[in-house]
Amino acid sequence: MAAATAQASSLLCNADTVVSTAVEGACAEACDRIRGERRRLDRRVHRGYEGWERMIPTHVKVQYAGGMGLMSAGVGWDYGRRCRWETDLMTGFLPKAYSDRTHATFTVRQSYIPWSINISGRIALEPLTCGIYVNMISGEDYWVREPDRYPGDIYYGFTSRLRAYVCVGQRVTCLLRGDSALRGITVYYELAANDLDIIAKCGNRSLALSDIFYFSFGVKLQILR
Amino acid sequence: MRIVNCVAVCTSALLAACQVDYHPYDTRIHGAVGINARNIARIEAATAGRREIRFAVISDTQRWYDETSDAVAALNGRGDLDFVLHAGDMADFGMKSEFERMRDILGRLDVPYAVVIGNHDCLATGEDIFEDMFGDFDFAFTAGNVRFVCINTNALEFDRDKPVPDFGFLEKQFLEFPPEADKSVVVMHARPFTEQFDNNVARVFEYAVSNLPQLQFCVNGHSHTYDVAEPFDDGVLYYGCENIAKRSYLLFTLNDDGYECERVGF
Repeated sequence: MAAATAQASSLLCNADTVVSTAVEGACAEACDRIRGERRRLDRRVHRGYEGWERMIPTHVKVQYAGGMGLMSAGVGWDYGRRCRWETDLMTGFLPKAYSDRTHATFTVRQSYIPWSINISGRIALEPLTCGIYVNMISGEDYWVREPDRYPGDIYYGFTSRLRAYVCVGQRVTCLLRGDSALRGITVYYELAANDLDIIAKCGNRSLALSDIFYFSFGVKLQILR
Repeated sequence: MRIVNCVAVCTSALLAACQVDYHPYDTRIHGAVGINARNIARIEAATAGRREIRFAVISDTQRWYDETSDAVAALNGRGDLDFVLHAGDMADFGMKSEFERMRDILGRLDVPYAVVIGNHDCLATGEDIFEDMFGDFDFAFTAGNVRFVCINTNALEFDRDKPVPDFGFLEKQFLEFPPEADKSVVVMHARPFTEQFDNNVARVFEYAVSNLPQLQFCVNGHSHTYDVAEPFDDGVLYYGCENIAKRSYLLFTLNDDGYECERVGF
């Protein structure tokens, strides 16, 4: 039975390449349906771009907190088998009210989302997201390399401008029907800890994990595919 | 059922993690601020009119939360202290969370404490956080009949935008010496002839502090070693306090017979 299903799926997919556009849509849906029977839970499909179009971002994100400013926004790409991998480029701002002056932040984040659990036809839960990100802040008080005024090669031996984070979180996705540019809305939260706090945790038993992990949340809008 | 479990996990995770961080170097302080002024008022009120005082000095507690907690327990166990002085370096990287954690640990002291700024406390926005959380970088208070002059000596961190050490402040201490005090103690983070100090003015600094009425001694941190020295051969001793990882503090007793210093391990 499984073999027959796989064959049907393969036939439908092969047909996909030769029939007209109208048939193409119906065929893709049929493919999804047949695949769906095999994996009812994880329905993530990367319909995908080809060639240079792969450069087009697949989503935009807006996030609150998380060490990348009060608010940050950016674009990203999901890729890999069942869209398990995701790369984001974010820009954030830290207003003067919360710092010495207004700062901009820039973040590169790499996430891995191993599972997606379909709850109903349109709602999916991603029970675990994990990732790492590096954040850079603007401003002359921060350095990557220590200023020359400090004696010796290494005086403090760290960079205040760049911070690396590890994060874990969860998401809920609502898939939208239709042909609009917006294909899905995901709300997510993350718990993130920075490199210096992790170092501090390693040397101090009295420091709990809850002391170094900070909460952030955001919205991801799946676009154009 | 699975959905219910997932929702339960999500909710509990959210509740467990209610702290948010805009940036490690943001200046949005949670909890107590203006600590030095408040604690100094308590010290002055509690020791007014006394001719014997006893205080402990700890220093360089950065990123040693376990050891600092143990120090607080040891100091609380004594029961004979009037106050505690921290000779600088609360934070290692100048991050707000480091200041908050250290403040919360020191807040468990039974006696009031005051903090002098260290070079690590100045990194990034650290000096802004220190100013909000503890107060001025240069300050003075009177405990019993002793005037404590606490001064910022981390010249390397201030790049000429602030006078460090501030001789205007030192002159004011000399000119406006309070009548209830008759002797003085100087507290700083980095002592003269360390790389942090503006050594071009080291002798001028010594001249200024040794003009304070009956200067007893100077206390400093920064070098992470217990080191009693007389760097200027003028009779003024500098007591270097160890970092807290060495699990010790300095105990000073001042009375009409003079003073005693003891290095106490815990």
